[in-house]
Amino acid sequence: MEAISFENIRVNENIHSQLEAFNRIAELAISNGIANSKPAIVDGLLGREAESTTGFMDGFAIPHTKSSEIKKPSVIILKSTNGIEWNSLDGSPVRFIISLLVPEEDAGTTHLTLLSSLSRILIRSEVRDQLINASSASEIVEILSSVMKNT
Amino acid sequence: MSKIKIVAATGCPTGIAHTFMAAEALEQAAKKLGVEIKVETHGQVGIENTLTKEEIRQADGVIIAADKDVQAERFVGKPVIDVPVAHAIKDAEKLIQTIIDGKATVYKAKKQESDTTENTASTSGSSIGRQVYKHLMNGVSHMLPFVVGGGVLIAVSFLFGIYSADPNHESYNAFAAMLKNIGGIGFGLMVPILAAYIAESIAKRPGLVVGFIGGMIAYTGGAGFLGGIVAGFIGGYIILLLGKLLSGLPKSLEGLKAIFLYPVLGIFLVGTLMTFLVNPMTTINEAMMDFLSGFQDANPILLGLIVGSMSAFDMGGPVNKAAYVTGTALLSEGNFYFMAGVSAACITPPLVTAFAVLFFKKYFNQSERNAGLVNFILGSTHITEGAIPFAAKNPIVVIPILMIASSISAILTYLFGVQVPAPHGGFLVLPVVTGAVQWLIAILSGSLAGAFLYGLYKKREAQKERSAEIAA
Repeated sequence: MEAISFENIRVNENIHSQLEAFNRIAELAISNGIANSKPAIVDGLLGREAESTTGFMDGFAIPHTKSSEIKKPSVIILKSTNGIEWNSLDGSPVRFIISLLVPEEDAGTTHLTLLSSLSRILIRSEVRDQLINASSASEIVEILSSVMKNT
Repeated sequence: MSKIKIVAATGCPTGIAHTFMAAEALEQAAKKLGVEIKVETHGQVGIENTLTKEEIRQADGVIIAADKDVQAERFVGKPVIDVPVAHAIKDAEKLIQTIIDGKATVYKAKKQESDTTENTASTSGSSIGRQVYKHLMNGVSHMLPFVVGGGVLIAVSFLFGIYSADPNHESYNAFAAMLKNIGGIGFGLMVPILAAYIAESIAKRPGLVVGFIGGMIAYTGGAGFLGGIVAGFIGGYIILLLGKLLSGLPKSLEGLKAIFLYPVLGIFLVGTLMTFLVNPMTTINEAMMDFLSGFQDANPILLGLIVGSMSAFDMGGPVNKAAYVTGTALLSEGNFYFMAGVSAACITPPLVTAFAVLFFKKYFNQSERNAGLVNFILGSTHITEGAIPFAAKNPIVVIPILMIASSISAILTYLFGVQVPAPHGGFLVLPVVTGAVQWLIAILSGSLAGAFLYGLYKKREAQKERSAEIAA
């Protein structure tokens, strides 16, 4: 589970817009040594969002991007105390952001499989319930690990 | 009655998240509704859980939840629901219920937009501009390796001397001649490949043959890359039209269509159309040559403007060639001034893209950056075609920028009174140029001005995309 680590999770964020969220993701990515360029991450996430929204249900969004500026496949999780307008599939404001960052070059199948299985478990409403109620980074890691182990 | 069996295919452009979320949603929904499902995922790692022919044959229905091509041709004749990937994430149960209720429409090749579920047509059909761009890009990305491979070999051959490929010239070198020949073949395929893959993007495999042949007619008839773009689009849409016209034929003739009717009727129609289109282009071409040679004594600024605009207009196509051939014709009459401007104008477009990529790196993607750097070589050796992949992406904006840049180079060259006695070779002929330094200054001025304009355009585009997104 090296792609999901405590240092990439922030639970008490106070985010007001999608752009602010993307800036925050990019900042974390830079300071945690995941990526080299902040604009590349923000532009990539915005570009993906322009194709179609990544917000899906019950306040969850999975903004993601692929860039040569990203060094290793990573997951950044932000939990916002207030809802962010995201143009979600169900129209709900987003409170739980799981951002998947993938390098441009072959990222290795294991990592991509990890990211795809992570996307899969978010479809289950019981997993979403647990995550939205989690109050700490360690709780989130625990939930994700246990669900994925049982997949 | 046995359990209902459904097959599905999911895919999204990045293939990282939604592909798999849709797959999971469909699997969960199927479990809940008590039907069997197999979901094929088209993700970043490739196609997983691939559907076999047998599984497709046995299935009671097909769900396509994808924003990219998932080879839907396989499902012809099956009841199919075709929706964007997001629908499966949100409404997986509804989709499966539609199949269970037998309300999905039977899939026919190329017609799904109009006759599947209602909301499909409105959400899956992206804007026309985006479609056109997608088709163009498919052509350009397949053409690029031909330009680079052919162009670099031709450039290398010039290192042996400008006339090294001419067996009647004293600098003849067999190896250089071979390089030029190989490179020339790569170059010659450029326009047909462009046309072929534009058509392929529009009409899938049947489009390939008509695009290729339309492109070949454009190329051999001298209609250049603009002719190739026209050929690609005409070819692709002719196949789509044929598909519609032939959709009434019995299903048993399906095989005959692909192997016989599409190719034969397709190339007949494309060939006829292109033959008619190529002729007027040649007429225009000749008229322009007369016009240009009559301009000999006009003022240098106007001449530079015309030569520059013509050279950059279609980069190696008929308009460019009109200026170029006039230059070589005048060269043989001992006029070395005219050619200097033409060469400067031909060298400029690739250099514009090269400098733009160098100075505005972050607004270009990786493959554009690589192609841009190769353009330093192609530009320096008078291979104008290097700029085509950039121009083809957005001709309406990029070509005028290149025309301005080439005009600046040509005007300055005429003002400086530079003389270039060689018809080709770019900077390799510098030793024989009278006023080589001024010539370099002229070309660099035009190239840098163009690069700046192009870079600003790309920057504005990027910002527009961003602000549009923030506003949305």
